[in-house]
Amino acid sequence: MDRREFLRQVALWSAGISVSVPHFRIGAALAAESQPSLLARATGKDYQELVDRVLGPLGGMGKFVRNGDKVVVKPNIGWDRNPGQAANTHPQVVRALVERALDAGAGEILVFDRTCNEERRCYVNSGMEDTLAGIKDKRLKFFHPDERKYIPVDIERGKAVRRLSIYRDALEADSYINVPVAKHHGLSLLTLGLKNSMGVLGGNRGAMHHNLGQKLADLATVIQPKLTVIDATRILLHNGPQGGDLADVMVLDTLVASVDPVAADAYATTLFGLKPEEIESTVAAYRMGLGEMDLAKIRIIKA
Amino acid sequence: MIFHGAEMKNKKRIPAYYWRRASQLVCLALFFFLFIRTDYSGRDEIAYAVNILFRIDPLLALSASVAAGFFIVLMLPALVTLLFTLLLGRFFCGWVCPMGTLLDGCHKIVPSKGQGRERRYRVLKFYLLGFLLVGAWLGLPLAGYVDPFSILVRSLALAVDPALNALSTTFFTYTYQQAPAWVNGLTEPLYTFLKATILPFNQKYYDLAVLSLVILLVVFLLERLERRFFCRNICPLGALFAVTARFALLRGRTGSKCGNCRNCRDVCRMGAIDEERNISQLDCNLSLDCIQHCPGNKISFQFSGLHQGRPAFALSRRSFVGSLALGAALPFLLKSRTLARQADPFLIRPPGALPEEEFIGRCVRCGECMKVCIGNGLQPAFLQGGLEGMFSPILKARTGYCEYNCTLCGQVCPSGAIRKLAPVEKKKVKIGNACFDRNRCLPYAKGIPCMVCEEHCPTPDKAIKFRDVVVENSHGEKVTVKQPYLVDELCVGCGICETKCPLPGRSAVTVTSAGESRNPAQALPDTGTTGYP
Repeated sequence: MDRREFLRQVALWSAGISVSVPHFRIGAALAAESQPSLLARATGKDYQELVDRVLGPLGGMGKFVRNGDKVVVKPNIGWDRNPGQAANTHPQVVRALVERALDAGAGEILVFDRTCNEERRCYVNSGMEDTLAGIKDKRLKFFHPDERKYIPVDIERGKAVRRLSIYRDALEADSYINVPVAKHHGLSLLTLGLKNSMGVLGGNRGAMHHNLGQKLADLATVIQPKLTVIDATRILLHNGPQGGDLADVMVLDTLVASVDPVAADAYATTLFGLKPEEIESTVAAYRMGLGEMDLAKIRIIKA
Repeated sequence: MIFHGAEMKNKKRIPAYYWRRASQLVCLALFFFLFIRTDYSGRDEIAYAVNILFRIDPLLALSASVAAGFFIVLMLPALVTLLFTLLLGRFFCGWVCPMGTLLDGCHKIVPSKGQGRERRYRVLKFYLLGFLLVGAWLGLPLAGYVDPFSILVRSLALAVDPALNALSTTFFTYTYQQAPAWVNGLTEPLYTFLKATILPFNQKYYDLAVLSLVILLVVFLLERLERRFFCRNICPLGALFAVTARFALLRGRTGSKCGNCRNCRDVCRMGAIDEERNISQLDCNLSLDCIQHCPGNKISFQFSGLHQGRPAFALSRRSFVGSLALGAALPFLLKSRTLARQADPFLIRPPGALPEEEFIGRCVRCGECMKVCIGNGLQPAFLQGGLEGMFSPILKARTGYCEYNCTLCGQVCPSGAIRKLAPVEKKKVKIGNACFDRNRCLPYAKGIPCMVCEEHCPTPDKAIKFRDVVVENSHGEKVTVKQPYLVDELCVGCGICETKCPLPGRSAVTVTSAGESRNPAQALPDTGTTGYP
């Protein structure tokens, strides 16, 4: 099934016309990636400027957002923690990405996350609400997910999970931009891009945690970002994914960006002094052909 | 002279009872406004005194203060209400009380059968008042069970508000999924508007929702017997106002020779006017209907001197003493329960709650803390705290948890039963302790990795930690899993682990009140650790 047909199914299902659950089958395009994955890394104190710099080698935002596109920018706003505590994506990074996407002519930009702590507290304490309020453009929609808009989706290629409930806007986006924060996690060692996609899931997400790595890879067959920007402006080394103790935070002032979600995760792993193969979700996604994890085969550009 | 029938003749004047009605509507609107604002607003502090209704309630102030043994300063506004009552009589019942206004408002829906001249039950409220105050003094604080505001807010918060939300969600989900686009063009903006204004932010779930609503409905159904049945006969707050109003300076007067129409008696919603058309200070709530309906304009309300005749309470001495004696005896009966020896381990009180005896004495069962609890963790107790603890807040961690950075319950508590804590202070308060059920917890019972509890544990140094252990899973394979364990010294008892535990049914990690910092007798054994393994 191609993307167009899939979207038609999603629309029909949510309109209650079809009872069959939409399902995704990935075409050959993604599996047969021939060129080496391109990855950019940039370091700097000014996060607005940093976003521009890291997107440069990838061709700028115009490469990912076209005129009139429906864009989803998906940060991590999962926790009732402030920006300094490194549990959520830095709001300035999100703001810069949103502004670039607006400049690129996006029709609308949706920013949301399904939080773990109380929704409103997370949006406020993360600094996201204040920061995004500074963007006076009606095309930007920063909202709390609406319970009615989760759609069950069959994961055709799923090995550990066959069906997931996924937020409609995430499925319908022309351009999905994943903006995770890089941090420690008790079970999966780290939470990076693939883990951040869990924020578009409905239902009981706790059940994801058995065989988490494979399930994240399964989810990645459906939620395919056009661009992944990993926020490592400051990283949480212990007591993740929530943190709370500034002693666990290390400031790196770094962003990592790639079209390849697996490559982005693989490279970000090294920021913690770990190897990509230590992260189960990276390995599982690599094995499914969703991207490159061999650092030697990734073209890394320091921008 | 304030209000006089003669004013009616002058067409330019607004009829007196219009003022009363306006006051009722304004107070009701304010009440609903504050009710809706009893919520997180994007700031750690609630900007409005959303609990003010309970702080101007002299019954609750008196009951809580008697239980505490000193006057609770937070409830000082109640004195102002009493002072106004000394001046104006039971104006509060007629002009301010939202319960009274709602009862008046539903008069047409629940019409009363009789004329309401039954005086037999009027004394009940005085017996009840006596019983409640003596009970509160000696350890059986029940005022919140029957206080009109407690009944009203509790039922709105626990039942009506969530039901209203469920109704609108169901409706707008139906239109969203089934209706054509043009319908959604109308319904979706409406839904957005309702969500931004009157609907709660998200769906909440409460124990005792039905019971709370039934109690309110009973108050409304009693209107069938006579108008304002509750206010006339049962309301202990009304009784306290009546006792005070006996000395009030403003009094209603009827003319001496006014014929036989008895219109005033018929329209009086409080049944305050007797056969001789004397207006009783104990009952009159200054609705001013009688002024409006008196054909001879004989009725007026005037300030008079102190040395006036005062209406008798018409109490039976024997019954009154009996109700006091009951209030005095019952608290000691409570001491004979097993609960007096061993508290229910699931009696987990909100952070900042006073030690149990003081807490229950002060708690007015208003439901404000449960309404404001953004984790939907606070639930009304049923019998966990004994007969006297019904509707008091407890944390039920399987349904919801205590949000680590949130201090709202202490902010809205009108009586200080839950202390208002600064954020830093709150994080040091331990309300309970988590405990793993190794027969259910996946890494222990099945050798399956799971870490949801640890992930959500909010303390900066996590109270839930892992040990790497080699176990045999259900396939007989040796696998290394991370098994969670608890560091008592770090756990605050917030219950998020129990809420989020992904197992169906009972959680594999349970919070009890063990180790709660408000009760040294519950201290956990000292493990000698400082929080690090």
